[in-house]
Amino acid sequence: MAEFTKPYDSKLQAGLLLLPTAIVLVAFLYYPAIETFRLSFFQTLLLGTKQTFVGIENYATLFSSTEYQKSFLVSVVFAAVVVVGALAVSLFVSYLIFEVDVGESTYLLAAIWPYALPTAVAATVLMFMLHPNLGIVSHYLEAWTGYEFNWFTNGPLALVVVAVVAIWKQLGYNIIFLVAALNNIPETLTESAKIDGVSRITMLYRVYIPLISPTLTFLVVMNTIYAFFGAFPLVDLMTSGGPSNATNLLIFKLYRDAFAFSSLGKASAESVVLFVIVSILMYVQLTISGRRAHYGA
Amino acid sequence: MSVKTDTSLVDRVGVTDLLSDDVFIHAALVLSILLMGLPLLLAAVMSTQSTTEIYQVTNVGVGSEGLSNYETALVDYNLTTYMVNSFVMAAVIVVGKIALSLLAALALVYYRLPYERAVFMFILLTLLMPVPVRIVPLFQLMADLGWANTLLSITGPYIASATAVFLFRQHFLSIPVSLVENARLDDVGPLTFLWKVLIPMSKGMIAGLAVIEFIYAWNQYLWPLIVISDQHKQVIQVGIKFLQGASQSGLTQWSLIMAGAIIALIPPLLVLIALHKPLLETFAIQQK
Repeated sequence: MAEFTKPYDSKLQAGLLLLPTAIVLVAFLYYPAIETFRLSFFQTLLLGTKQTFVGIENYATLFSSTEYQKSFLVSVVFAAVVVVGALAVSLFVSYLIFEVDVGESTYLLAAIWPYALPTAVAATVLMFMLHPNLGIVSHYLEAWTGYEFNWFTNGPLALVVVAVVAIWKQLGYNIIFLVAALNNIPETLTESAKIDGVSRITMLYRVYIPLISPTLTFLVVMNTIYAFFGAFPLVDLMTSGGPSNATNLLIFKLYRDAFAFSSLGKASAESVVLFVIVSILMYVQLTISGRRAHYGA
Repeated sequence: MSVKTDTSLVDRVGVTDLLSDDVFIHAALVLSILLMGLPLLLAAVMSTQSTTEIYQVTNVGVGSEGLSNYETALVDYNLTTYMVNSFVMAAVIVVGKIALSLLAALALVYYRLPYERAVFMFILLTLLMPVPVRIVPLFQLMADLGWANTLLSITGPYIASATAVFLFRQHFLSIPVSLVENARLDDVGPLTFLWKVLIPMSKGMIAGLAVIEFIYAWNQYLWPLIVISDQHKQVIQVGIKFLQGASQSGLTQWSLIMAGAIIALIPPLLVLIALHKPLLETFAIQQK
């Protein structure tokens, strides 16, 4: 791409072509994001019309609040369960699709459909299937295990149930990338191991997983982002953060603090924390993909 | 044990082992896929049941209501309105995002631009600003602009995209230089070049991005929930939430809710099935 001569050089035209994107990004992304930072140092009253500068007080209140600490912890645990669960199941199914002798493309389509599954739909359907009193799945689980499957009152169980829904929803996205990564491995790299008669499971752990580790890292980042930013409908529709804040994810707490309790300064501080989280995650992703390809010019 | 028996045993184990291995993979795949789809199959069956039938927990037969729950959901519970709203929102986002991103990528790749890298970074940095990071000021901005409760509020903030600009830029850079040289020698204007050369050469990627953005837009929940308070202007994902309150003589109408969930799923599912090929190709480029 180096010897490529750019055909046009009117700066005015280039500016005009970039203008619509620039306007949207400045007005609806940069401006509100920067305003979030500013607001996080203010205490607001009367729906934001009265603002008082309070320095880092919002952050201090936040970090010393046990409710926020719990919300943070719950979000981290939730993200860990979702990432590990979604990647384990996706890897299992993807490897089967990769190894199958006939019908790979049919199996692939049959396995990636959850990519189109709206989170709100996933939440609604599984909420009923796993309903403590009416759910057919929980009915048989209780009958077979004798364990009381009441996630309406059992906090940790509720978090697991919400994580299961998130895992279900993420399978499609993960399988798309994992099958593509497995198919991209040059056969010269795997041939000798196959000739040596290494078993499928050993092949997976010793050969394939190391070779697709860049994709796995990318998916760890994307699934973590989903767990922190995309899981809102799950909590809103299934648990409302309960029981006793066991599923009160950061994103749900932010929503309630901002729009139910109108603590705009505090909510903005919570947004800034989420910004730090997404920044770390994107940094990890860009560093890793930057090692293999170049994002920049 | 004699040598003879030993080898025949090895032979037999070898053949059956190979055979059962492939059978095992097919069986495991079919089972996994069934398990993944089971909740939806159950939801589809139970959406045909009456409230009494669905309260019989282990009843998995087709119910007596047929498709009447769908009719009730679409007509009496206004799901038709929400579906139309979602379609309009998704269409505006898909078309707007692709159009704006094509223009931006055209400028980035084919113009001698000062600070090109900085401009590109400026666009890419917005990946760090998902809605929750700017939700409070964005909500106030919508109110100040008088956009609350309008289509503008659920489309405007989504109409530019770092991902789409990035993908089009990558794709344009892979277009053979000779084609660009021809355009330059023939003195073709930039918009004609975009329309006659770039867009026809980007059909696959445009289709793939359209799927990604349609599904993304269709599945929006948090932002419409906040910024749309007029129920008739609401989108289908939040519309499902309104169904949760539906009850009949004290019993939640779960079959109606299941019907609503299926309705909300059908459009993105059909789009995915119809356009999975360009989608997979586009994701392949994103990974490179």
